[in-house]
Amino acid sequence: MHTSDSEDFESADEGHGSPEKKERKKRLSSSNYSDNALETDQQPQEPKPSATAVKNIAKETDGWDDFDIDDNEPIAPPPTKAKVTDSKKEVEQKPTNVKADQKSQVPCWDEFDDWGQDDTVSTQRTEPPKPVQNKQSAQPDPNIKEVTDRLAAASTGASGGWGGWGWSVDSLLSTATAGISNITSQVSQGISTVLETGIGAPDPEELARSSVKANEAKAPVPAPISAEDGDKLQGRQGSSPEAGANAGDAAFPFGSLFSGVSKFVETTGTKVISGGLDTLETIGKKTMEVLQDGDPGLAKKRALLGLGAGDKPVLSQVLREAKAKADEDDRVREEKREAKEVHYENLFDDFEGLVHLEALEMLSKQISMRIEERMRSVDADKRQDIKETLQQVAELCEMPEEEEDDDEPPSEGVSKADAFHERLQTATQDLGLKLQFQPLVKQYTDILTYISGSPDTTVKGIYKRAVSGLAQATALSVEQYHKAAEMLLVKTRRSTADEADALTQMTVVLTKHISELATLFTEKLNGLPSDNTEQVNTYITNIFLEAGNSSTYIQNAFQLALPILQIGAV
Amino acid sequence: MVDPIFDYQFRLILIGDSTVGKSSLLKYFTDGKFAELSDPTVGVDFFARIIEVQDGTRIKLQLWDTAGQERFRSITKSYYRNSVGALLVYDVCNRSSFEHIPLWMMEAKRHIEPHRPVFALVGCKIDLAGSDSKNGARRQVTLEEAQQFAEQNGLHQLETSAKTGFNVENAFLIVAQDVYNRIQSGEYKVEDGWDGIKTGFNRPNGMDFNLLEAETVQSTCC
Repeated sequence: MHTSDSEDFESADEGHGSPEKKERKKRLSSSNYSDNALETDQQPQEPKPSATAVKNIAKETDGWDDFDIDDNEPIAPPPTKAKVTDSKKEVEQKPTNVKADQKSQVPCWDEFDDWGQDDTVSTQRTEPPKPVQNKQSAQPDPNIKEVTDRLAAASTGASGGWGGWGWSVDSLLSTATAGISNITSQVSQGISTVLETGIGAPDPEELARSSVKANEAKAPVPAPISAEDGDKLQGRQGSSPEAGANAGDAAFPFGSLFSGVSKFVETTGTKVISGGLDTLETIGKKTMEVLQDGDPGLAKKRALLGLGAGDKPVLSQVLREAKAKADEDDRVREEKREAKEVHYENLFDDFEGLVHLEALEMLSKQISMRIEERMRSVDADKRQDIKETLQQVAELCEMPEEEEDDDEPPSEGVSKADAFHERLQTATQDLGLKLQFQPLVKQYTDILTYISGSPDTTVKGIYKRAVSGLAQATALSVEQYHKAAEMLLVKTRRSTADEADALTQMTVVLTKHISELATLFTEKLNGLPSDNTEQVNTYITNIFLEAGNSSTYIQNAFQLALPILQIGAV
Repeated sequence: MVDPIFDYQFRLILIGDSTVGKSSLLKYFTDGKFAELSDPTVGVDFFARIIEVQDGTRIKLQLWDTAGQERFRSITKSYYRNSVGALLVYDVCNRSSFEHIPLWMMEAKRHIEPHRPVFALVGCKIDLAGSDSKNGARRQVTLEEAQQFAEQNGLHQLETSAKTGFNVENAFLIVAQDVYNRIQSGEYKVEDGWDGIKTGFNRPNGMDFNLLEAETVQSTCC
């Protein structure tokens, strides 16, 4: 478990999101690691048809083998067949090696012994892919060229820089990188033009040409096996294998091509192919050995190259992505800052409203527990008494019905802020505590000043001020409940009924104050000449919503204070 | 307006005897001002400031300034739980405030459990200590004994002055840095239901390694 944890850590460091991470883990652990899947992941821009065709061939290969076995084909010598199957397996493992090893820059094929040296990884990795066209000039045979062209095209995106390789090696490796099943199918069908030339078998071009000639002589089927052709062939083979087995060479249903090559194999000698395949096998084994040395499963190298997650180590793209990401981050950050400026909850937090509420909640819980303890410690009769008392206090704290505003309008000469202060003091005079209302009054004064004549006349500006004003007023109100609760708890003489009534009155005054503030701001917004009525209406709706929010916070705070009132009575 | 974006929020609590200078220390730290006179704290007050730790990570310190008065003791106890750091504050000119430090520390440990906060021992009012006889040298707690106590109990230790501002920043920075280091080392984690450490506004996705790790631990133990 620890190992897998650390693996997670590693990949997290590489900046992979967890889904990708999981994906990659899955792949690493799955034994039938499919290169085709990789290919499609990595090169979405590649022409699809060939990829899918190749995949089909790969899938059908088993059928082919079975057929091969069933069919006691006289021409195909058993040793060769075995070889073919073996090396196919070998080859199927190959892409891993090749890809992981893109960096080992070997100047020429003959020096393939150096192949496994992987000390130059990072440099090669960051190099932009080199085009492979120059190798095609070495291609004399149009048929071969067609095949290799296709392969090269398929692999262009994948190869990290193969400058030093001969064309044939290159295309071979490209093929391996792009989709090994290509080779697999070719090998199993005996059409190993690419393979043979790739291994540097004696006079490969000549061989290829003669193979093609042989094919042409045998049947009208076009010589170069494109992926599509191979697909068709496979289809035919699948449909009537028995017939094909019994028929002679000429009638061989799927393959004048195959038989042609079989003939060719027979005539030119199995040595060529098996020798070539041996070489290939040796290369593959050697490469796997070197690569897997101290790195079983190639997990590290895969991670290093970022292959597992399906992204290509192409510098320009990496840089582009980095730039895009940085831009996006900046934008998001800016948006966040902006969002926070008018985000009610965040403002409420900034004005310490949240933390006062939280502290009040801590007290409330603690006191509730104390009340419960007290009830447990007394007998049933007394417990019933306590319950009734608690209920009575709770009823005292119920908010009065929405009554018509019976407040006397503030007399002449008294500012609205002073009137507000007076209402608060009147409401709480029976509380027996010295609450500090100055911050609330000062904030109200500031808002009144702002409303009556501020230079800020933008709709957005007023809206921001409204949200922040409401958040601040709410925070200051919540603080009053918190402070009242704390002071009530250390008060020596409790008069619960008076206290409950006072806090209820205070709640009424404060919630009214909130709607007053909301009205002030919305009137200000409405009075503004604006060409965007819809925006203004949205803002007004939001302001009333936040005002509702504020009232909820205030009433919650009041409810949290209830146990503190109750404990004074029991 | 200061950049409101921060990566983490740490909750620190200041505890110690009445009148040792907890509120003044906080006022200086958050306002840069020294208040000659201030009312005794009722219950708990809150201060906040965003600072940066060494690697530039922005930390919002939410500071809980508790009342030192004995009568609030039962109330302030309920506030300890969600703190990740505690400043044990005493007055270098008040011997008994230093002698009560072990009690404050035990109290904090008991109430913050199972969490283990970062502690700092902070001596206040060294501007009044007087290094020479001319001022009467009102210091009653020597630097050496404070250092010794801190060493024995694994606390950070500083002497400060909220009047001159000496070491005020350091007192908070040192605690914040230590908390941050412990997050980095995996000792502290962001946890649901515990508000000692919270991720900030900068990380709305909660995509934070320690958070992930905490989840991993949860999922493996079930």
